[in-house]
Amino acid sequence: MKTTHKMFIGLFALLMMYAVSANADNNSATNVSSVIQQSKEQSVQIVTACDGKKKVIVEGYKEGEPMPEHKAREVAKLLTALMDYCEEEITAKIPETEIAIQLSINGDPFISVTAIEELPLVLVHGGKPHTEREKRIWSAELNRMIDTGYKIFHDPTLGTNGISCDMCHPNASNTHPETYPKFQTQTKKAALLRDMINWCIENPQEGKKLSDDDPRMKALEAYIISERTGVILEPGKH
Amino acid sequence: MSIRKCRQDRETKNESLSGLNRREFLKTAVATGTIATGAGVFLNYAQSIAQQVEVKHGTNRFTFAYISDSHLLDRGREHRFAKSLIKAVKDVNALEPQPDFVLYGGDLAQLGLRDELSLGKDIIAELKPKLYMMVGEHDWYYDMGDVWREFFGKPTYSFNHKGIHFIVLNSVVVEDYWSGPKMAPMERMLFMAQLDNPKGRPFTVGEEQRKWLSDDLSGVEKHIPIVVFSHSPLYKYYKAWNFWADDAEQVQKLLSPFKTVTVIHGHTHQVLTNKIKNIAFHGMMSTAWPWPYAPEGIPKLTVQMDRPDPFNQFDGTGWGIVDTLHDGNVNKTYKLWDRNPMIVSYDKVSTGRELVPGPSY
Amino acid sequence: MQRKRSKLTFSTVFIVMLLNLSAGFICSLPSVAFTQSADELYELKLPPYVLEPIIPENNPLTKGKVFLGQKLYFDKRLSADDTVSCATCHDPEKGFADGEIVAIGINGQKGARNSPTTLNTAFFDTQFWDGRVLTLEEQAILPIANPIEMGMPSHDAVVEKISNIAEYKADFKAVFGSDNITIDQIAQAIASFERTLITFNTPFDRFIAGEENAISTSAKRGWELFQGKARCLTCHEFNVSYPFFTDNKFHNIGVAMKDKDFGALARKAAGSDADPSALAHEKAASELGRYLVTKEPKDIGAFKTSGLRDIALTSPYMHDGSEPTLESVIEFYDKGGVPNPNLDGGIRPLNLSEEEKTDLVEFMKALTSNDLPELIKKLNP
Repeated sequence: MKTTHKMFIGLFALLMMYAVSANADNNSATNVSSVIQQSKEQSVQIVTACDGKKKVIVEGYKEGEPMPEHKAREVAKLLTALMDYCEEEITAKIPETEIAIQLSINGDPFISVTAIEELPLVLVHGGKPHTEREKRIWSAELNRMIDTGYKIFHDPTLGTNGISCDMCHPNASNTHPETYPKFQTQTKKAALLRDMINWCIENPQEGKKLSDDDPRMKALEAYIISERTGVILEPGKH
Repeated sequence: MSIRKCRQDRETKNESLSGLNRREFLKTAVATGTIATGAGVFLNYAQSIAQQVEVKHGTNRFTFAYISDSHLLDRGREHRFAKSLIKAVKDVNALEPQPDFVLYGGDLAQLGLRDELSLGKDIIAELKPKLYMMVGEHDWYYDMGDVWREFFGKPTYSFNHKGIHFIVLNSVVVEDYWSGPKMAPMERMLFMAQLDNPKGRPFTVGEEQRKWLSDDLSGVEKHIPIVVFSHSPLYKYYKAWNFWADDAEQVQKLLSPFKTVTVIHGHTHQVLTNKIKNIAFHGMMSTAWPWPYAPEGIPKLTVQMDRPDPFNQFDGTGWGIVDTLHDGNVNKTYKLWDRNPMIVSYDKVSTGRELVPGPSY
Repeated sequence: MQRKRSKLTFSTVFIVMLLNLSAGFICSLPSVAFTQSADELYELKLPPYVLEPIIPENNPLTKGKVFLGQKLYFDKRLSADDTVSCATCHDPEKGFADGEIVAIGINGQKGARNSPTTLNTAFFDTQFWDGRVLTLEEQAILPIANPIEMGMPSHDAVVEKISNIAEYKADFKAVFGSDNITIDQIAQAIASFERTLITFNTPFDRFIAGEENAISTSAKRGWELFQGKARCLTCHEFNVSYPFFTDNKFHNIGVAMKDKDFGALARKAAGSDADPSALAHEKAASELGRYLVTKEPKDIGAFKTSGLRDIALTSPYMHDGSEPTLESVIEFYDKGGVPNPNLDGGIRPLNLSEEEKTDLVEFMKALTSNDLPELIKKLNP
């Protein structure tokens, strides 16, 4: 994490050098494709990342012409994002007028990407990106667990008296799963989230508690944690 | 204020307590069996605030009580929600003097079933004062109010009482989401019954009732105080949980020419106070369970009740009384069963100062 | 090669995006009866939660292609001497494999690897034991022109042979709308048919769906072992979204290391520009497995994790057919495979008891689909 951070800073510094001194480094452009050659004849600057494999063609700025800060920042952000492609050779174009970024991977034809945030996500695992199939499975399995939890959370049959979890905890309010383990006054001892789920089942809901490895318990935890992730804890307000 | 000073204040004020208030307190406490020494002191202090208010806004004309959001299930009188409603009815019947009338604030039933409504009807029939009924979405969306109307009559009406014009609305009207997909009645009901249901629809008063309201108000002089009973809050608090009326601004506009307007609403199951221009808003407690406060949109005037203990079905639940002052403004008292009551006086609402001088427990 | 691989993955992202759109289209089709048309989409019947297979954007699954692909799959005329069809090595009666140790092509020629089943291959990331192609389209036509499989001299030759069969001329015209048959059309049709060879409704599927007694108590213990002590699940991945028992990855478990000198083979192959398809059929070079495709040392002797659905029907096992029974497979894993410098880090001795071994076999026997007889009947009218 630290290394990555340093690398980004280094990269950004490199960029700023380009932007401020506007000295295009001709040596860095040893392996440029015909696209780049063609671009060179127009009004463009080519910025190359430290690995020599990622290039950003910035249209609308001549070699040597300083870029405004926002543009330089955009280029830096894009190059940083491109570093996620590890060993791949990437050429990106930031057109002068269009909003979309043009991206070419390993010499493939350019494709259009609407924003830096929209770059096709390539996670790295064993040096290889995960496949789309894998990502679909992970997403489906995760969502199914959370959805199952959502259903149980809203189902009064977890207890016996017609009360479901959501009746006191809409959107899992006041569950703040991130605060466990903690001493819980109801149980008079340190408790985990699942202990309090069972406490609620047995007390307000007058039901029979679930075992720790009951798939319903796991699903409830999955729903609660996913629903509350990112919600700020405000002591005294829950 | 130091603790010592505070105690002195209380002692001074206790001396000037009216006998009437003290009698009321004792009767209630005996009837509910929840008297506690500390609670008594605080209640007295709170009531003394009410007395101060009377100086400014005139003496209490009359008092009415409310009971709301009982959410009865078809599980007989032994079910915890039924027990709570029965407790509220007993509390109100023990008030002395008796309130002029009782408002039932909606959501008598949980799923709008005949047996639920019938159980509720039997329990509230035991109330001694006159009863005014209001409808909530839980009463309505199983059969679109058929049984409710059969039991309780029209959901929209007005009446005058001791110089105040009272209006009762059905403010849980939503656009038709059920005809298209041909939903079964229970499916339609469950859409509305789940608070955090993103597929639910926002409440409105609706064009038809707004027209009725406009006509109704046209015959009321502008200096006459207005009190509106509405199940949903007639303002926009938190849409995701339908703590909301989509046409709130339009309704507020109809009420804007009147000097003194108070809205008493249910649905939110929490201590909730708001003021928008000329209108003061007060939430009603539920007898069944408290909702947590929404993550955003809580009106600034609201002093939040701290989180109830779910072990205790009488914590964070209760009923309330509303003292209608001579100038038409109201002081509202949250009768929280296992806590001290919380009084929201009109004086505090109008000045925006802190509403409650201490913790609620 | 690494670069090429990720390039393809990258374009898959977009294919999938488009596919999602077309999948939505399939779902939103009105439920009125379709007119009999070759272009009509073929709807795969998947149990709830199972994700649709990724189908190439340029080869939508139509009834016409499935029909034509079925015909081609069973047609021995695709081979040089009219003796071998796809179904010869991927025989419905034999679990869509052949029951042989290694595949047998024209003139009784033996290949170097065991014929895998064509069942459920639509769901795999790569095809062949070494994953040298990504799609069924690419896979389907390679054996046709392989000298020791179906033996046609070239793809052009098979196109010409098919083009001279009047029946096919009409079929291809109806399905692809053109008079000229191409090898890609043949590939698309066979691949489309193969995508329909999917098998659910196994006792284990029913068990997972909540039918507690769908499998024996021994199989239930086997399932627990599979996920736990026996360490199977990591590679033979299973979940409700993707219940195919493979991680689609390549592992050296030592099967290929029986009696061979790999160092020498790898050095030889590393310097070679030979086609992996050809090497895969050379008895010795074939054992290098995934290495033939990637030339990465870590892939020496690594082969694709097989799916396990209907596994009881497709003995013998492993890429070289070296394990005759499920019992012997379990013995192989129990002793920790065959130690070698490239052994996968997940492989280690399991110390299973005899009962546990039996339980694992019982579990695998519960993975045979009850729908298979009907599927086979449908294919042999």
